[in-house]
Amino acid sequence: MRTQILALLLGTFLTAWGSAAAAGDLVVICHTSVSLKADEVRDVYFGDKGFAGSVKLLPADNSAAQDAFLEKVMKLDAKKYAGVWIKKAFRDGSAPPPVKGSDAEAIVYVKQTAGACSYVTSAPGDGVVVVAKF
Amino acid sequence: MLNKLLIPARAIALGVILSAASLPAAADSASDAKLEELQHKLDQSMKMIEALGARVKELEGHATSGPVAAAAAPAADAQRLAAVEQQVVQIETVNATRQSDDSGLPIHGFADVNVGNDNLYFPYAKGTNVGSLDLYLAPKLGDRVVSLAELIFETGPDGHVGTDLERFQIGYQFSDKATVWVGRFHTPYGYVNTALHHGVWLADALRRPKFVNFEDKGGVLPAHTVGVWVTGAQHEGNGKFLYDFYAGNGQQIQGGTLDMQTGGNGHGAAIAGTRLSYQFSGGAVDGLMVGVNGFTDKVSDDRVNGDLITPNATLIRLNMVGAYAVYDTDMWEHIVEFYSFRDKTLNGSPGTHKSNAWFGQFAYRGRWCLPYVRFERASLDQADPYFNEQTFGASYYRSALGVRFDINAKSSIKLEVAHTRNTDDRPKTDYRPSDAEIGLPQQYNEILAQYAVRF
Repeated sequence: MRTQILALLLGTFLTAWGSAAAAGDLVVICHTSVSLKADEVRDVYFGDKGFAGSVKLLPADNSAAQDAFLEKVMKLDAKKYAGVWIKKAFRDGSAPPPVKGSDAEAIVYVKQTAGACSYVTSAPGDGVVVVAKF
Repeated sequence: MLNKLLIPARAIALGVILSAASLPAAADSASDAKLEELQHKLDQSMKMIEALGARVKELEGHATSGPVAAAAAPAADAQRLAAVEQQVVQIETVNATRQSDDSGLPIHGFADVNVGNDNLYFPYAKGTNVGSLDLYLAPKLGDRVVSLAELIFETGPDGHVGTDLERFQIGYQFSDKATVWVGRFHTPYGYVNTALHHGVWLADALRRPKFVNFEDKGGVLPAHTVGVWVTGAQHEGNGKFLYDFYAGNGQQIQGGTLDMQTGGNGHGAAIAGTRLSYQFSGGAVDGLMVGVNGFTDKVSDDRVNGDLITPNATLIRLNMVGAYAVYDTDMWEHIVEFYSFRDKTLNGSPGTHKSNAWFGQFAYRGRWCLPYVRFERASLDQADPYFNEQTFGASYYRSALGVRFDINAKSSIKLEVAHTRNTDDRPKTDYRPSDAEIGLPQQYNEILAQYAVRF
């Protein structure tokens, strides 16, 4: 009986997960210490917003989802995004967000780092705050 | 055995069907057509399950031996799979928690070389010249402690390569609204001086406007300040309000060049100023930034009437107010800056002197090149010792037409033709030679080329 229940749950989860991925959602997630509004995400990734309350924000890019993020959220291409950070780094010493290599890396980073934010295209699971879906 | 597998398989299939049925239903519960379609799919699925069940029973009848071996193989696979999963998780954890500043201290920089009928800063020099090698680094000292150092090697007015600690500032970020910097920084006035300082590659134009150039490159404004700088931003409306307040050592004119007194000055006189800006975001004015700025500065000189006097003798009260506007979009980059001076001589022959300077630069970001045009005018009162004592303090007109080509993401070639006409006839004084003596022509044309890179 227990096997049947587990299998039923597994089947339900797999289908739900597959449906979410198929929809192409881009999910912006943050560490549980971060309170952020959806319309503030762009400022965070432009380096204009460095704090959420008293929490220092530590955004990270995710190479697996960066193209979609730049298109949907930042409204620019990778070249211009890099250009923004080159100028900003020279003006005030800011460092561009580190780049994570996959959704899994991004999720682990956000879960383990106070102030961290990133974005993924798969279900992030528990232990993170979903800030926005695009 | 197969019967045991069949039961969970049916359950999985049922879960899949239920879930698949519930998701679209939730998305559009009012749609009868969709419900009918789902019912049809459900019927098909049930038939498929029944067929699969029959097939399994058939296979079960043929199964005769090997249950122990069959059970052992999946167990071994599961063990290996668990080990691999654990390794993957460990790798992901290490990668995920790696910070960008954990891999040492990156050094970035800019460099440029130039060819032209004149040196782009000192028109008395001709031919090829090495511009600058500009290195900057920003050590991370914690969440809120920030620092920035910029070291530059550049060719000076005498043709020799000099080293300059252009910026060295350590700061503390209280919030987005307030960061305090202490050290030597780019004086916050206008747009060009902080946004497009050194780092020639950053700027679309081949060189800065002459009067806002660096102190030792023909500029007449205190491009650097050694002191304290408070800066921050606050969202207001559809844009952002930005502010800068600063105070530091009063400058001194040494040998005809303005010096920011990096080691401190002897009389304690100070420069103090502010810049207030608003950056629009969204709508028709997206990319527009406007601002006002001003400072007051007690500037001293190393000589008065040809005699070397006390090094820090106060000479001039320099007062500047100005305004600027920038329109920076994917297609355009326009910059306009205006400065008005009301200087007061504090010893010698007291008096007030009025001067002004402005420039407008207009650029179009084309697909494969960026053409620009710029007009400059500095009308500087030569009775004002602040301008008269500076080697490059003459009034002038300059018009320039240029183009930038990006070779790749890290290098560009710029070309510029320009005409400059000095409008002051400056004879030699007790503290500097005449413009003619140092080879500064009254008017001249330039054809300049520059290869600029970043790394």
